[in-house]
Amino acid sequence: MTDPFTLEIIREQLIAAAEESFIALGRSSQSPIIYEVLDYACAITDHNGDIIAQANGVPGFLGTLTFAVKAILEKFPPEEMVPGDVFMNNDPYRGGGNHLSDVALIAPIFYEGTLVAFAVNKAHWTEVGGMAAGSWTTDSTEIYQEGLQFPAIRLYEGGRIIPSLVDLIAANVRTPEATLGDMFAGVASLRRAEKRVMEICRQYGLAAVQESIRTGLDQGEILARKALAALPKGEYFAEEWMDDDGLTDTPVYVCVKVTISDDEFIADFTGSSPQVPGPINCTRTRLQSACRTIFKAITDPSTPVNDGWFRPVKIICPEGTVFTAQRPAPVSTYWETGAYAVDLLWQALFPVLPDRLTAGHHLSVCGTLIAGFNEEGERFILVEPQAGGWGAGATKDGENGLVPVGDGETYVIPVEVCETRYPILVEQYSFNETSAGHGRYRGGLGLIRDYRLLAEEAQLTTTFGRHKYPPWGANGGGHGSLNGVEVFTPGREEPVLWKGKIARYVLKKGDLARLITAVGGGYGHPHQRPVEEVIADVKNGYVSLQTAVEIYGVELDPATLTPLNIRRQFDVPVESDVSGSGR
Amino acid sequence: MRVASDIGGTFTDLAYLDEETGAVGFAKASTTPGHLADGVLATLDRARLSADKTRFFVHGSTVVINALTERKGARTALLTTKGFRDVLEIGRANRPDIYNLYYTKPKPFVPRYLRLEIRERMNYRGQVLEPLKEEDVLAALEIYRREGVEAVAVCFLHAYANPAHEKRCLEIIRQHAPELALSASHELSREWREYERTNTAVLNSYVKPTVEHYLTELEERLRAQGMPPVYHVMQSNGGTATFARGKAAPIYAVESGPVAGVIGAVQVGRLIGEENLITFDVGGTTAKTSLVKGGQPRITTEYKIGWNRGYAGYPILAPTIDIVEIGAGGGSIAWIDEAGSLHIGPQSAGADPGPACYGKGGDHPTVTDANVMVGRLNPDYFLGGEIALDLEQTCRVLAPIAYRFRCTLEEAAMGIIRLADASMINAIQLVSVRRGHDPRDFVLIAFGGGGAMHAPALARKLRVKKVVVPTEPGVFSAWGMLMADLRQDLIRTAIRRTDRMEPEELATFFQDMETQAGEALMAQGVAPERIYFRRHADMRYKGQEHTVKVPIPDGPLTAVTLREIEKRFHDLHHQAYTFRLDAPIELVNYHVTAFGAVDKAEIGRVRGGSLAQAHKDRRGVYFDDFGLCQTDIYERELLPVGTPISGPAVVEEPTSTTVIFPDQVFTRDEYGFLHIEMQESPA
Repeated sequence: MTDPFTLEIIREQLIAAAEESFIALGRSSQSPIIYEVLDYACAITDHNGDIIAQANGVPGFLGTLTFAVKAILEKFPPEEMVPGDVFMNNDPYRGGGNHLSDVALIAPIFYEGTLVAFAVNKAHWTEVGGMAAGSWTTDSTEIYQEGLQFPAIRLYEGGRIIPSLVDLIAANVRTPEATLGDMFAGVASLRRAEKRVMEICRQYGLAAVQESIRTGLDQGEILARKALAALPKGEYFAEEWMDDDGLTDTPVYVCVKVTISDDEFIADFTGSSPQVPGPINCTRTRLQSACRTIFKAITDPSTPVNDGWFRPVKIICPEGTVFTAQRPAPVSTYWETGAYAVDLLWQALFPVLPDRLTAGHHLSVCGTLIAGFNEEGERFILVEPQAGGWGAGATKDGENGLVPVGDGETYVIPVEVCETRYPILVEQYSFNETSAGHGRYRGGLGLIRDYRLLAEEAQLTTTFGRHKYPPWGANGGGHGSLNGVEVFTPGREEPVLWKGKIARYVLKKGDLARLITAVGGGYGHPHQRPVEEVIADVKNGYVSLQTAVEIYGVELDPATLTPLNIRRQFDVPVESDVSGSGR
Repeated sequence: MRVASDIGGTFTDLAYLDEETGAVGFAKASTTPGHLADGVLATLDRARLSADKTRFFVHGSTVVINALTERKGARTALLTTKGFRDVLEIGRANRPDIYNLYYTKPKPFVPRYLRLEIRERMNYRGQVLEPLKEEDVLAALEIYRREGVEAVAVCFLHAYANPAHEKRCLEIIRQHAPELALSASHELSREWREYERTNTAVLNSYVKPTVEHYLTELEERLRAQGMPPVYHVMQSNGGTATFARGKAAPIYAVESGPVAGVIGAVQVGRLIGEENLITFDVGGTTAKTSLVKGGQPRITTEYKIGWNRGYAGYPILAPTIDIVEIGAGGGSIAWIDEAGSLHIGPQSAGADPGPACYGKGGDHPTVTDANVMVGRLNPDYFLGGEIALDLEQTCRVLAPIAYRFRCTLEEAAMGIIRLADASMINAIQLVSVRRGHDPRDFVLIAFGGGGAMHAPALARKLRVKKVVVPTEPGVFSAWGMLMADLRQDLIRTAIRRTDRMEPEELATFFQDMETQAGEALMAQGVAPERIYFRRHADMRYKGQEHTVKVPIPDGPLTAVTLREIEKRFHDLHHQAYTFRLDAPIELVNYHVTAFGAVDKAEIGRVRGGSLAQAHKDRRGVYFDDFGLCQTDIYERELLPVGTPISGPAVVEEPTSTTVIFPDQVFTRDEYGFLHIEMQESPA
């Protein structure tokens, strides 16, 4: 038996080791998706693959790395592993994958001949081959179009890389230098974690480390059960339509029933649409992390977690739905559907947890990809998410311009960096002032980002969900506006295009792509917004004079902004039909 | 006479060095908010210093950081490029608290209606795409006049590459609205990233009137005392600048207190002949640590005000000594979570009510309480006996922890101390081993009220060369300021590939910046022969975003030096990330540091006492795995010089306590510093 303080110190050190490997990967990577978006995670698991400590940049990987490790263990029993081995895995259907771009690297950690733990990381590599530059697109129909598959394979044998595999990867991706650079950054990060875990074993002894790991998982569960006990018991429902699958115009139905009991949190997605022909499908891995994200958000957002935390979470969903797609369904833009899984749970629970959740937000990552060649003839691939408007809460306005729930410690790319790196001129980066999301508390404003192409030609691919169905308002607050992309050509006033999902649209030199993200949903009736707040809104240009009158019932003198007339009826629901245009 | 004044939240500390005798002295007075000069003058008075003999006066304060965190600055407006006024509010749009779905972003320091757009545009090469529309500036000034604006910041896109439009804009404003406090982004930073640069300019303007007012007052009061005009402010980069410069760029002084400790540590290192140092500063609520390699502190421009794990904070592109701070100080509270695990901080009992043992109503067990419980802190000699610590209160608040873990009060207290030590070790590893440095090459310099109490325990785990505790560790920041040089950092962004760059261009970059930095120092009265430079470049493999700081050789830069620079980059990248790539290398930022060396008089030697004189007591003290040991207690002032003394031992002085383990040995050196090393293990 080790004393409780030592066990706690070991746990803290294992968390520090996961965080250290996380920072090392981000700082040495060559993909903006890794170093700016932080679309990657690093973890340390026990010898069974259960996560002891994990560092995340985005919630989407929460607790999913465990499946990547377990898939390796199924194929390679521990007695076949040796120190220095590294495995890789990106299988979306089994093995903890999301889409092929998310590649997991796994290294067993031995101490004096005993398998103690695994170091694992998973990162979104910018290029893994496939039909489109950047490997994700909105019109693939089979996994085979989406890049290289690494079905739980060995990359290093006892510390030596398998050279033919490296050659194979290099030959099948468009940016071999960057792709392999990310791979080496990932391996270096594993080695870092391995070194730290071995130091911890050396300092405290194997038995103490193993005991700390075991009791740590149990303590995670105890904390989660205490938090669960404080949640309101009952059954909660939500249903939604997703825009389409990228190939057709048909909306896709999804729904959830959440049951919170004394000892379980059950999310049942039965009844949601079968898997669809386009690449918005996600697999059970992502569904799992969606449920964990919400469970974490409503229980305790700040404490570090391990797999013990999620023992009370149960997921019910038949195979072959849009949330549990089967091989060979395309999944390259899986995050659209993953985000809806989160939003369904969010909507279902919002009425009973208004202090933890806001009204609906722009939700879609609004993935944007521009690929082409610069004037020096070098290939460039711009890949980025967009920030947008968040929903209002029961005590605050929504945030203006914030990355969606699918992103986290994700940084939008500075205009100055963007213009230096890509043949693009950014002509505006500003708030989307569309009249929407009104309420006692206003939904946050979305953003408008204008890209003027300076190269001869480039392909534009986007996936802006909530292009047909805006973010939801709450308690009488108005709904938000729509996400979408407009394309303008020189000499024409009207956009030639207004769409959510775009696959490899050819931009010519001088064309302008306008990326528009949604205003978030409002909370409460707009007539309850204090007059002085409406005046400040108008002064700041968040709300127009006309909207102040029509929606907020406050007529202001245009010159002085003093109230001329206040007409408010608290029993009339808000009309916010203006939000439909979204521009 | 060199005089340094460190104005903290509670106390104003004064340190001075008599250059003729080498004598160092200290004085303390309460800080006097509203009229900070009162507190400074009170310390001068207590020290009985004759102001007219002062040849160098430097001071640091919390004025800038307080004006920002309390939002008590000027009514500030922003002028920016058309299409980009919302950049300041969008920020980088990140959600650091990733599972918090009720997150609130940092609120910008300029409301939207005071952020006005000017028609003008540069591209990333600094070429003009659209000339500055001067009438837009005039129209904006009209609005600002109406709105009662007091300060204005100007930030245009790509001004780091070509500041012409910002410069012209400043001229127009000075001509038409000379009363406005003014800053332009290029005056403060020549790095890319518009949000960070805009925010830097905005915060500078925001605090400018406040800082100008208090520096002017202080200047007048000091002059009235007969002090010659040798007034300097401590800067976040670890150097000093004249009051004139301090008024123009107050944002450069935001971290002046903590960095002074690092500079003091560098000076301690110089005296004892050590260039590789880890600084370790334990105060009431936090512990701070920083790494010094080859006598040089590490400088970063990724500093953020108010940042924490759950909050994005406000970035400032001002060169700042890289300090890692964690929530484990003397006042940090120990608590048990719902699953029954023990944690330390980040909540702190602060100075009021303070730890339970202060007897001022503190209800939670703190690290200080734990140190009292295990006999490390002497309850009758806290602050030299000014406060009698209440051991009964300590027992009372530790009882629930002892009950939870079914252990004695002393074991519970040791648990708290070991957890606090573990998080301090983590922080130190973050700046050392995790950046590829071997702690065995480093000396740990411990200061702050609690540094010396914990450092020897950490040293055993970290395996550093030794621990050094300087004199008066409780007022070490003021001492550190005494030792600071004038310093000017210039950083400029221009992306170039090393294999395609002409060495002449690289040479021109550095020469231009050195000329400019040198002129800035000469304008502050530094003689040219006292100015020296250091060059660095931020470099990366093409495709990467983050960079590694690489020292650039002095003298002419040729194709040969360029190859040498590439080699240094490969090595440093390997040291930091354990791999190298066969990819093109990019230069991103060029960094010149100009120093104006100031004479530093010899520090006087101490005359030691004897072991018998110093020995004041013997009591039981707990030492981690050694358990309870009967321990000799010494008064620091009276210790002999040069005599090795074996642990276990506790060395007491009014503002600090040093705890030496049974397997350690310590010596007081001729400067009065304590050196603590591991005992040679019996062969």
